[in-house]
Amino acid sequence: MLIPHPLLGLRDAQEFTYLGDANLINRPDPNAPNAEAMFCDYVFLRDNPAGVHRELWYHEQGDRSWLVVTRNTVTHEILGAELASDVALAHREGSK
Amino acid sequence: MTDLTPITALGGTIARVETFGALSLTENPAMALASLALRKGQSVPSPFGMTLPEPGKWTKSGAIGVYWMAKDQWMVEAEGRAEEDFARVLKAEVPEASVTEQTDGWAAIEITSSKGAAPIKALLEKLVNIDAGAFTQGSALRTGLDHMSVFLIRRAEDRLAVWGMRSSTETLWHALAVAARRLEDI
Repeated sequence: MLIPHPLLGLRDAQEFTYLGDANLINRPDPNAPNAEAMFCDYVFLRDNPAGVHRELWYHEQGDRSWLVVTRNTVTHEILGAELASDVALAHREGSK
Repeated sequence: MTDLTPITALGGTIARVETFGALSLTENPAMALASLALRKGQSVPSPFGMTLPEPGKWTKSGAIGVYWMAKDQWMVEAEGRAEEDFARVLKAEVPEASVTEQTDGWAAIEITSSKGAAPIKALLEKLVNIDAGAFTQGSALRTGLDHMSVFLIRRAEDRLAVWGMRSSTETLWHALAVAARRLEDI
């Protein structure tokens, strides 16, 4: 399986380690009044779709970047990859 | 007073050299290494007047080589300066950036071919899951080799450098030597 690294091009999936749902980037606000309930969801509840999924992958034997990889969990087709830092930045800009 | 004898990463008093057919492996204990990382918001500097390379690339000017390591991070090599405080020299060039001494964490093995690019390509194909055909002169990348993290630099069509973790240099040498020996007849 090859992952299209946004900076380095196609790289072997063996160089990466897998973390899981990319929603982990969206950490809830710890000062919010319902922080406990939101953190409970954040820590314990995950979607587990059969189909297109956005996931966090770490390029451990490469440039040590975190990527958000869009993958079809049924066919293992990789539909795209972006730097997680860019995704987090865009999310922060969007929530302002 | 104790008489201390400096030894190389492979434990010898001189650099180890082994030749297998067209391929020669040479330990390079004289190469200094320092990492260069930009601080947040910092513009890209040009140490020693060099343009820092793009992702996946290596450039060289005189005795100084630079390769891309990660976003806003590079490794800077200096031939024959392993016994100096090279990180300090680099820091003086880029006072705004973070510079860390790396010479004692890594060890370089230089591989040369006497039959052009083909034996180097065959060695890469045997050892690492990268596109060996696209790994041309001036390319540099980090990948896994026998479960060890290494930097590969294509210094020329017939020359390849492997930077590996210093504590596992013997294991890395073994992996490279075994693969090179099996390519002897090619």
